[in-house]
Amino acid sequence: MKDLVRLRTSLKEEIEIILNAQCKMEAEASNKYLAMASWLERNGYKQSSDYLYGQAEEERTHFLKIFKYINDVGGTAITPVIGEVTQEYSDLKSVFETALQSEIAVSLSINKIVAKCREVSDFATEEFIMWFVKEQREEEENARRALELFEVIDVNSSAGKFLLDKEIAKIGGKE
Amino acid sequence: MTELYKTSKGTTFQCDVTDRICLQFGDISASFKIKDFFIFRRTVKTINIHEMIFNLSDDYDFEWIESPKSGIAQKLTLCEIVQLRDLLDGTKFSLELNSVLHETLGTLVIR
Ligand SMILES: [Fe+2]
Ligand SMILES: [Fe+2]
Repeated sequence: MKDLVRLRTSLKEEIEIILNAQCKMEAEASNKYLAMASWLERNGYKQSSDYLYGQAEEERTHFLKIFKYINDVGGTAITPVIGEVTQEYSDLKSVFETALQSEIAVSLSINKIVAKCREVSDFATEEFIMWFVKEQREEEENARRALELFEVIDVNSSAGKFLLDKEIAKIGGKE
Repeated sequence: MTELYKTSKGTTFQCDVTDRICLQFGDISASFKIKDFFIFRRTVKTINIHEMIFNLSDDYDFEWIESPKSGIAQKLTLCEIVQLRDLLDGTKFSLELNSVLHETLGTLVIR
């Protein structure tokens, strides 16, 4: 009797499920950044809003990267359903606090995928997902840098908000 | 054709010539490529049966089951859906058990 399951795909079902869940998480991250960018734009933070529009695009490419991987190895990529994301923020800093929290959650989720791959000996997916491990290290670093700027620039000083907007926007540029 | 799973309501087989899964369940007689079989199972598994139980509207007495490539478009009752799930789950178990045996023992050993 042929092993039809293995002939179809190298993905074990549990890995396929967590990869689809990660797709959803990346797509959600994209929407979160989009909402943040929009809030920044509406509130006069034009430059940092451009930075987060860029982040939204980047999350979309993360989403597609995993989505296509699932299909490439014979699995079934499922278009995720994305719920509501926060549209309103109290101030500039809270936007970037949320961004860091969200990136940390993504890093944890990626780590779990690596652990699961090792558990079921899916070394191909482990190798694939390692790209995201590195990416998350950079993403967290950027998100932390944004918050660090609030410590060195007084948001309530005369040009504080203007300066923060400008400096946060530079974070993306240094990549 | 190798039988994969059998319940009082239906049977599934694997055909090694066409690499397809054949399903017989009530009025339904269909064959799937393995990938479509798993998608079909997912469709059946994601039906909200609690909604069917608790919603008194006539719309919830039946649920449409579709698998376009296999020509399935059928109205099933709650009871039939539970029975179909049972058959599909058992089939999935057989398929995966076979896969584990291949992986563990090596393809050539199994006849
Ligand atoms: Fe991401
Ligand atoms: Fe990110």
